[in-house]
Amino acid sequence: MSEYVIEIDSLTKIYKTGKTDFKALNNVDLNINKGDFVAIMGPSGSGKSTMMNIIGCLDRPTSGTIIIDGENISTVNDNQLAVIRGRKIGFIFQKFNLMPSMTALKNVSLPMVFLGGSKADRDHRAFELLAKVGLTNWATHLPSELSGGQQQRIAIARALVNNPSIILADEPTGNLDTKTGEQIMELLVALNREGKTILLVTHAIALKRFANRVVNMLDGEVTEDT
Amino acid sequence: MIRDIFTMALDTMKSYKIRTFLTLIGVIIGVASVIMVTTAGNSVSTFIAEQWNLFNPTGMVIGLGTGGAVPQLSIRSVVFTTNDVENIQRLPSIKTVAPIGIVPVIKILKRDGFLKWESRPGETMYASTEAILEILNMELEEGTMFQEGKNEIVISKNVVETFGKDKPLKVGDTIYLRRVDGKTLDAKIVGILKQSSSFSMFNTLSSPGIICPAKPYYSTYFGSNAGSILKRVVAYTILLAEAKDTKQVQEAQNEILSYLNGTGSDANQYLDENSDFVVITQQYILDRVDKIMSVIRTYITAIALISLLIGGVGIANIMFATVTERTREIGTMMAVGAKRRDILQLFLYQSMVIGLLGGLTGCILGASGSWFVVDLLNNSIQNLGGAFSTGSIQLAYAPEWFLIASIVGILIGIAAGVLPARKAAKMDPVVALRYE
Repeated sequence: MSEYVIEIDSLTKIYKTGKTDFKALNNVDLNINKGDFVAIMGPSGSGKSTMMNIIGCLDRPTSGTIIIDGENISTVNDNQLAVIRGRKIGFIFQKFNLMPSMTALKNVSLPMVFLGGSKADRDHRAFELLAKVGLTNWATHLPSELSGGQQQRIAIARALVNNPSIILADEPTGNLDTKTGEQIMELLVALNREGKTILLVTHAIALKRFANRVVNMLDGEVTEDT
Repeated sequence: MIRDIFTMALDTMKSYKIRTFLTLIGVIIGVASVIMVTTAGNSVSTFIAEQWNLFNPTGMVIGLGTGGAVPQLSIRSVVFTTNDVENIQRLPSIKTVAPIGIVPVIKILKRDGFLKWESRPGETMYASTEAILEILNMELEEGTMFQEGKNEIVISKNVVETFGKDKPLKVGDTIYLRRVDGKTLDAKIVGILKQSSSFSMFNTLSSPGIICPAKPYYSTYFGSNAGSILKRVVAYTILLAEAKDTKQVQEAQNEILSYLNGTGSDANQYLDENSDFVVITQQYILDRVDKIMSVIRTYITAIALISLLIGGVGIANIMFATVTERTREIGTMMAVGAKRRDILQLFLYQSMVIGLLGGLTGCILGASGSWFVVDLLNNSIQNLGGAFSTGSIQLAYAPEWFLIASIVGILIGIAAGVLPARKAAKMDPVVALRYE
């Protein structure tokens, strides 16, 4: 088994918009090591979002192969894709994307619901993660009662709940002030030190310093990889 | 996992309380109205069947009308003579016959001291014979039956109180009856009918308030215009007959018709070209009532079912709005591992619960609402008066419609949820996550 957690080989994604085709990704090759902290950067329209969607198993490539933690996702059906997504990927969104009608605890345990398992196990695990992000006192609160930074911590706890191989963070500090953003980034760095592979998708240059590898994209191609 | 998704569906509904409640109301009203309408229909049918059962099951109404499959009585012609009454009485399957001659009384007067008169509006008065009591299941509470040719009458319980509850008419009192032709005749009350079984003949007749002998009340007024001036006879509009037993009703009907259509009957001479003799039996009336009731019932039940359908459209509408509104949440759930089936279930459960809850609440509301509806019907029927003033509509639930209404409610809930839930499940997670 390879040490790569993500192996991308000549990946192409074409969007059909009306009569014209739009090549969002053009023959991209990219391998990411286990335990890396990779920042994927680039202006809007560079293909970084498409890249994130495909790595996050939300979308399929038009051609090429992508292997996530040993699973070739280019060939699986919708259901299998959902299961892989649930098990291997932890999402962190710019707008936190918490369920407004669920408590913090339920939000954290949500990904476990779709994989089955008992409620007691779920609550136990979710509580553990709330402790990790320092929000046990807020377990029964609704997202609307929490600050932005707290909401993002809940989202991070949710991303971790199924113990995924990859954390995909899409502009995780975009809706936070600088100071809170720093704290969230430090939390991600801490997770990385524990061995989690983290993929940060951003166009904020300032976040570059947290990553140990930066992949720059432009017009659907990787232009720089350091 | 199904249980967890179900709990999630309930949680969502709790967080959209007003929306859930309004959607529920649509289904509740639909189910409740189906139940109320069917219960009302059932209760009224039962009531009408009972009303007609009061009329002797061996009884028949002989009249003129346009025959065929749906005989219609007409009361405009007077053709049945006393002679006919006697001849029909002699037919083998006939137990008894009573003629009915309608005497329009416009005023009832009573002497109240010297030169002082009290006057009341008229009553239905039938000229007949003693046989009418048996055929219409009536009995005298006090007094005796009148004698033909004497100024004597028998009155019903309702007429007793014509001049007020404190001044009831008694056996032996004399009242004055003013006919529509202006003639006033004195009448001695010889008997009072028991308030009990009453009779009505499908908007052709109503129960008589006064029964009188043909002579002098009827023969001097109306009975004489049948026949030539030289050969005056008393003739009636309608005859009531009774067969010897229920098995002979059909036979009696045939005997009467063949007698009337034969050369021996007077009625046949006076018959105009456009009319036929018609014999209506109780069974026929019951069948008619049943037919009419079922048409009405089908019609109003259909309307009620439409309201249930509209409730379903309400669910679909709200579910579509909810799905659209929660697009980003759906995307997020997919991102954290929800399969399309999970999303489908999540929304289907919501509409199912609304259907189920609405169905059950509707049943309870419909059951209690039926009570009010029947009460309301009773009030309006009391106001109709006449034969219907006796007895009241009893609440008679139609249990099968409870089942039908709640099952239809639940099915509509599911059906209404299918499209919105499919829309949710078919979303592209990438697009859904980007939704603002």
